[in-house]
Amino acid sequence: MSDNAPSTPVKAAQTEQEKTDFGFSQVEKTQKASLVANVFDSVAAKYDIMNDFMSMGVHRLWKRYTIDCAGARAGHKVLDIAGGTGDLTAKFSRLVGPTGSVTLADINLSMLKVGRDKLRDRGLISNIDYVQADAEALPFPDNHFDIVTMAFGLRNVTEKQNALNSIFRVLKPGGRLLVLEFSKPTSEQLSKLYDMYSFHVLPKMGQLVANDADSYQYLAESIRMHPDQETLKGMFEQAGFEQCDYQNLTGGIVALHRGYKF
Amino acid sequence: MPASALLTATLEQAINRVLPLDPDSAARLQALSGARLTAFVAPLPFGLSLSFSEQVDVHAVHEAPAEVVAALTEKDCCIQTSLSVLPELQQTSQLTRLIQQQKLTVDGELQIAQQVSALFQQLDIDWEDQLAQVTNDVIAHQAFTTGRQVHERVSSLLGTFSRTLGNAVVEEKQLAAHRLAVMHFNDSVSTLRDDVARAESRLEKLEQRLTKR
Repeated sequence: MSDNAPSTPVKAAQTEQEKTDFGFSQVEKTQKASLVANVFDSVAAKYDIMNDFMSMGVHRLWKRYTIDCAGARAGHKVLDIAGGTGDLTAKFSRLVGPTGSVTLADINLSMLKVGRDKLRDRGLISNIDYVQADAEALPFPDNHFDIVTMAFGLRNVTEKQNALNSIFRVLKPGGRLLVLEFSKPTSEQLSKLYDMYSFHVLPKMGQLVANDADSYQYLAESIRMHPDQETLKGMFEQAGFEQCDYQNLTGGIVALHRGYKF
Repeated sequence: MPASALLTATLEQAINRVLPLDPDSAARLQALSGARLTAFVAPLPFGLSLSFSEQVDVHAVHEAPAEVVAALTEKDCCIQTSLSVLPELQQTSQLTRLIQQQKLTVDGELQIAQQVSALFQQLDIDWEDQLAQVTNDVIAHQAFTTGRQVHERVSSLLGTFSRTLGNAVVEEKQLAAHRLAVMHFNDSVSTLRDDVARAESRLEKLEQRLTKR
């Protein structure tokens, strides 16, 4: 007993280190990527419809505001991580023009295919690259992009700090990162209302439209487990970003974090 | 919800729905492909940027005008003005005067601003034809003929009402001065102002002479 006693906390610590959250559940870190992949494989086809339905179209305004704050100009190289069905990429493609380029990266092949088909159907082909990539280990050279955006993707990453470090590496000096993500509502009343909507209405919507309540239950849980505004800002700074700030949108339901690499 | 995003989304939707209604606008839009016009219109708290490709993308600019000007390329134009000056911008002959009066600042390629102005000013939409596509020719023609008649009649009635009201106020009740009387009064005030200025000048000279003695 006494022999085992000292090793127990070590084992517990090791187990703790190897676990991560998947919604409210704790899973092995190695499992999270495939579990998230299952979620997105399941919702990819109905992703856009569900986004419009769940947010009553407001997600389009959040994304538009992100693009406004990106300051994209002709000739810029933009990386849209977790770009999903290409909402941001479509806009960036027109803004950077033929002299610039946009790379749509997503770890999930199903989402990437839906995005690629959608953008090609809209005639956007000339300056867009599609890359299946893990945000934690981006397969791009150092100092390569002028702008990196990540909309509603960071909370699904297993090691968020690794992703921010990786983004910092691929950004050019003077470049900026914008992370649009669900966050913590600033008012108590809104928070209660939002909880009720997330845990009672959202899964039912998912069941009704996408025939998948579990994925939308995960969505609600993963939002609650995501770092709050100040914590994420601290993670930006830890990765090396400067002039970090964030703006709460719709009462803090969503926050846009911004940081520069100098 | 960011109000600027809602505004730009609405503007973008409106512009991209209206432009294709004039088949000639495609050529004017093509000429602008790759160009960008940024406008800072006081007192709007943000700038508006119009980027041209096969469509028009409207975005809010949250950077300071100086930052935008510093990053201008040969296909960019940035204007800074105020809401009250906007109507005057329709007359291109007034641009130089507005720039001299510092009511308008133009940086970058002025031709882009002129082309954008032409894109919207030269819009020629056959609304009757547009309506005919969703109804039919007869209904559309009838609706527009009726609309024109109503417009003419309302204009005529408003004109008559305005004249009658003017006569009653000026001639019968004498509640307001006649237009000619107002003009005469303005002229008299101008003459008096000039006389006062002359007298003031003479007094100053007299004062100077007295001081010298």
